[in-house]
Amino acid sequence: MSHKFASALADLQILGTAADRAARAIPLVWPLASSVAVNPFLGQTSEGLAQAGARLARVAGVAVTMPRSWYREKISVGEISDEDLLAAWASAPAQQRPVDLTVLKAAAASDAPTRAALPTVADLAKEVSGIDWPGLIAERFGAWAAGYFDEGQALWQAPRGKGAYAAWRAVATHDLTPEIAGLPGFALHVSEAPESAVAAVARVADRLGLCEDAMETYFHQMLMTQGGWSQYARYQLWQAELAGGTDQTITDFLAIRLIWEEALFIRYGVQITDRWSSVRASHALPIEPTPELVIDAILQEAAERSSQRALAVTLAEPALGQSEDRPVVQAAFCIDVRSEVFRRAFESVCPDIRTLGFAGFFGLTASHRRFASDVEELRLPVLLNPSVRSRSGGSELAAKDQATRFKARAKRAWGRFKLAAVSSFAFVEATGPIYVGKLLGDSLGLHGAGAPNDPPPRLDPALDLETRATAAETVLRAMSLTGNFARLVLLAGHGANVVNNPHASALHCGACGGYSGEVNARLLAALLNDPEVRAALAPLGIEIPADTLFLGALHDTTTDRVTLYTEDYPSHAHAGDIEQAKTWLGAAGRIARTERALRLPRAGQESSVARRSRDWSETRPEWALAGCKAFIAAPRTRTAGKSLEGRAFLHDYDWMQDKSFSVLELILTAPVVVASWISLQYYGSTVAPDVFGGGNKLLHNVTGGIGVVEGNGGLLRAGLPWQSVHDGERLMHEPLRLSVCIEAPREAMTEVLSRHDNVRALFDNGWLHLFALDATGRIAWRYTGDLQWTAMDPAAGDGTRPPLKLAV
Amino acid sequence: MPIYLTPLFAPAVLLISAVVGFLMPGRRRLPPKLAEAAALAAVVSAFVSLGVLVFQGPGVSPVIESYGIGLSVRLDAVSAVMLLLVTFIGWVVVRYAGTYLDGEARQGPFTGWLCLTLASVLLLVSAGNLFQLVLAWIATSLFLHRLLLFYPERVSGQRAARKKFVTARLGDVALIGAVGLLVAAYGTSDIGAILAAAKAGAGGGLAVAAAGFLALAAVLKSAQFPTHGWLTEVMETPTPVSALLHAGVINAGGFLLIRFADLMLLAPGVLAALVMIGGFTALYGSLVMLTQPAVKTSLAWSTVAQMGFMIFECGLALFPLALLHIVAHSLYKAHSFLASGGAVEKVAAIRRPGPVAIPKARAVGRAFLSALIIYLMVGLGFGFEHKSPQAIALGAILIFGVAYMLAQGFADAAPRALTRRTAVYAVATSLSYFALQTAATWVTSGVLPPTPAPGPLEWALIMLAVISFGLVAIVQAMFPLWAYHPAAAGLRVHLSNGFYANAVFDRIVGGWSARTAS
Repeated sequence: MSHKFASALADLQILGTAADRAARAIPLVWPLASSVAVNPFLGQTSEGLAQAGARLARVAGVAVTMPRSWYREKISVGEISDEDLLAAWASAPAQQRPVDLTVLKAAAASDAPTRAALPTVADLAKEVSGIDWPGLIAERFGAWAAGYFDEGQALWQAPRGKGAYAAWRAVATHDLTPEIAGLPGFALHVSEAPESAVAAVARVADRLGLCEDAMETYFHQMLMTQGGWSQYARYQLWQAELAGGTDQTITDFLAIRLIWEEALFIRYGVQITDRWSSVRASHALPIEPTPELVIDAILQEAAERSSQRALAVTLAEPALGQSEDRPVVQAAFCIDVRSEVFRRAFESVCPDIRTLGFAGFFGLTASHRRFASDVEELRLPVLLNPSVRSRSGGSELAAKDQATRFKARAKRAWGRFKLAAVSSFAFVEATGPIYVGKLLGDSLGLHGAGAPNDPPPRLDPALDLETRATAAETVLRAMSLTGNFARLVLLAGHGANVVNNPHASALHCGACGGYSGEVNARLLAALLNDPEVRAALAPLGIEIPADTLFLGALHDTTTDRVTLYTEDYPSHAHAGDIEQAKTWLGAAGRIARTERALRLPRAGQESSVARRSRDWSETRPEWALAGCKAFIAAPRTRTAGKSLEGRAFLHDYDWMQDKSFSVLELILTAPVVVASWISLQYYGSTVAPDVFGGGNKLLHNVTGGIGVVEGNGGLLRAGLPWQSVHDGERLMHEPLRLSVCIEAPREAMTEVLSRHDNVRALFDNGWLHLFALDATGRIAWRYTGDLQWTAMDPAAGDGTRPPLKLAV
Repeated sequence: MPIYLTPLFAPAVLLISAVVGFLMPGRRRLPPKLAEAAALAAVVSAFVSLGVLVFQGPGVSPVIESYGIGLSVRLDAVSAVMLLLVTFIGWVVVRYAGTYLDGEARQGPFTGWLCLTLASVLLLVSAGNLFQLVLAWIATSLFLHRLLLFYPERVSGQRAARKKFVTARLGDVALIGAVGLLVAAYGTSDIGAILAAAKAGAGGGLAVAAAGFLALAAVLKSAQFPTHGWLTEVMETPTPVSALLHAGVINAGGFLLIRFADLMLLAPGVLAALVMIGGFTALYGSLVMLTQPAVKTSLAWSTVAQMGFMIFECGLALFPLALLHIVAHSLYKAHSFLASGGAVEKVAAIRRPGPVAIPKARAVGRAFLSALIIYLMVGLGFGFEHKSPQAIALGAILIFGVAYMLAQGFADAAPRALTRRTAVYAVATSLSYFALQTAATWVTSGVLPPTPAPGPLEWALIMLAVISFGLVAIVQAMFPLWAYHPAAAGLRVHLSNGFYANAVFDRIVGGWSARTAS
């Protein structure tokens, strides 16, 4: 059989293309020190939910929607109405959908068949040998990959420097475990494998008799069996490409996994060859969604339409009028859904408070060094490259910087003393009893993390005036903040305040690369307080009054406390304004905590929220973005006073000021995409927790400082832990794809979409919903794909249901 | 005197709370709060017991008998220390688990097994007679087994639990054998009477055989090479269980040897074997640990090593130090497991202050010389002349560790401030070590026998131990200079796999068979 394909396989280009497509079908995962949400369906956005479901079912047995019972429940309580079902049905492709609503409802009443992935050679070998080969491969691969990617957990690190494939071969030719487990000659097999990963892939493809059509999903499956490790390899590729280079790690991973398949194929060939030919043939078939998958996708769409109806009602309510007078305090927050709760609370404290929403990196893509640190942290959206460099503390603090470093180095030496062979015994016998105090302190929650408090950050190297002024103008226009400045303008980044939590960075600001947002906020405050910059802005039409003070701040999303960095710009004149703001922020915090405590298990009341943030055994210190379902870009006056339940991203946007629609383009291509990653990460972690979720927090074992495995080892777990979407009794995140509502002319949005295929694919294939708001902030138009819009019934806004025929 | 029954209060309340746990299995109900209260009551009862010991002196309670099985308490410095340790860590773990497992469908049973495990450990460490000792010993491991299988569907959890089960049953057989021999040798099941007779030199060959079986039971319980495999896989169950192990479960082997110290001294050959097994496991575990990239796995390997060191100390007849080790290590390791979620931040912090200064051979030499000087000075201060050669050798081994700390500060690239700080740490560590050693000896004087003068065999072992620990220490101090040499690459692979002892164990018990996997 191999001769038949030999000529095709000789063409390494075909093979390379298939390997590359498989690699790009895998989502990314960032290291946990600076993690951001990633869309687990990133490689499938060019197809719809049902099609992606068919693909992922074949390669990993993954469900891409909830079990039918979830939709049934919603239908039976009337949350999903017949109109929703009909509308969803009508929008599905005519040739694939069930014939009518009755058939659809009958299908919803029965459970969907379980989906199993096609078996791998390892699965087939397991069946005939009674040895758990897939488990062993995952364990061995994990043991190697954990060492290869280790950022400093082990004192004796695995050798780095060569590519993953070469590094793995160096280990696998020494490792005796597979042979002890029953695969004699594996090390020899590895040592005789081709030197290059692509050649190894070619050899195995030839040996397994893969034709070109079968390669893509089979390779995809190979990478899926390596779980989060493949995603981390995909991240290496992403980072390399962002910097203009490329990276081979994920191809190497494919080769490694294929060498295992080959060894098992040789070992058990005779017994599995028939079954393997049929599996191979199945891989070569085109991907077609089954009728069941189409029904699942329609039910999902119906659930989303139901929630959009509710959103339309909320948006149609009359908004709280806000006066046009000069506000007393303005505060800009991140668009993050957690800010919505706090903003609403803050505005309710005093009518002269204005808040606005903008991506929490405040337009400054900074590569930042903390005080007394050599490490550059990328505090910016992960889609972008850094454009400025910054550091905390300048030359005037050199002595303190030095002293802090010495302290940190001594601490590090102590840490090594604690871990090293022989000295660990001395450490235990001499200092073990000290841990009575530590156990007591941590058990009683005496030590909290506290807000970050580095010396003020500064741009280093500093920028010339023109660049600074341009940056300031761009940011202010993007924020739609070009006039009517208050005396005090707070720029509030956000960060979580938790202890003993490996996923802490996932609770920080995604727009700041998984770090807390105070650095970017303080940098922007410095920029806008600069008199030279203000002078340069005035001719551009942005007049910042002399008595306006910008202050960086940090909104602690766990405890809803806001830290003001007042020392950055000590201003006697503003002492009263600042005191007043602090009082209001304190009052707003209490209101916000009261609201959040209702959702947090065992929180009871407002005052227990802070205690939970210091509790080292707390797995649910906050709900982060669980529940997110909408993204609204409009002036705040459209939403002020309405409760969006902490489920909406709020971006301030006034299209009247956006002459060239460049801000609109920015919103659709940056914050909307980031929000889609967040929304779909929650979606994936909820509907497919075993594959796209981060697993069980109770079993997490931090590996290499970059990620977690469950238990002893094996696969890296990417995505959100189960405890982050589920409170033990019910889901805290409803898996709904995001509804993006923008107040802007439809033509302008169509025009932007037509120029950005990747963004358009998200909407056209249903990964996001797009709506145009009218001048009163009501949902007026639905984007239906292919750059087309349909009018929404304005009657839906005042709560009455549209007649059935209208919905069809 | 009945007042010596005080320690039984702790297992009694834990038992009640366990029963409630099983009766109320669901989510967010009474058991976690009740268990925390019970664990706190257990801590109080341990302190009351300590008060009894201080004011009444050591003693034995009357036997509460039913169906021929007796319950009696032996309260002395050893059991009081263990009671305090176990109840304190027990409270920390139960409190932690109460929040950590919140929302779990089976939190009630988890709490129940947790309380039962603690109750049986408390009965074990306070046992006044052999039957109670054996029953508590077996019960501890059976209850722990249930905790290891808290997620019964986890294949790798089953694998670890099966290895633990096999090892534990072998250990049970060894302990039952030992107890049978002890009853035959001394004609009583009262531990105090046996120890008194052993102190007087009675017992003969039966007693020596019993010591051998006790040692075997201890080695199996405390995960000594090559039966350590299950311990490094125990993170298949929620984190609090890993911490619980340090509340007298994994270190019960050491406790057993300390409890029967007078008897163990009758069998120098057995002690010699313990020195070798423990010493080897200590070095083995601590070297394997160097290569482990996952935090809990690394901590578990460290526990293997520390348990080896504990057994090693028992083999050298340094029983008070072994007790000190149990206490110190348990506190440290329980905390480390519970705080292991901080590993991401810890690793991230490593690189911030700049590169690590690597000491060259000369700096290492100076560090070892300085450490020896510190040892001499501090040792003279505390009085070398009262110390046994074994204790002096042990001190030397620990000082090798201190030398590693100094070596980091002596590296050419290290600034003076760093040198100064590491020197301060080194002196403080040495002082603290000697002070704690003195305290441990003082607390247990009269309960634990003094270390006998070494014979030729002991001298040979002492030399062997000092040389091998010394070599490893030097190799470790010069680590970055050789570890990345290509010649070491293969060694690293074998070491990171623990020289395959676990893989062989898996093969023998069918750990990778698909039968368990399906």
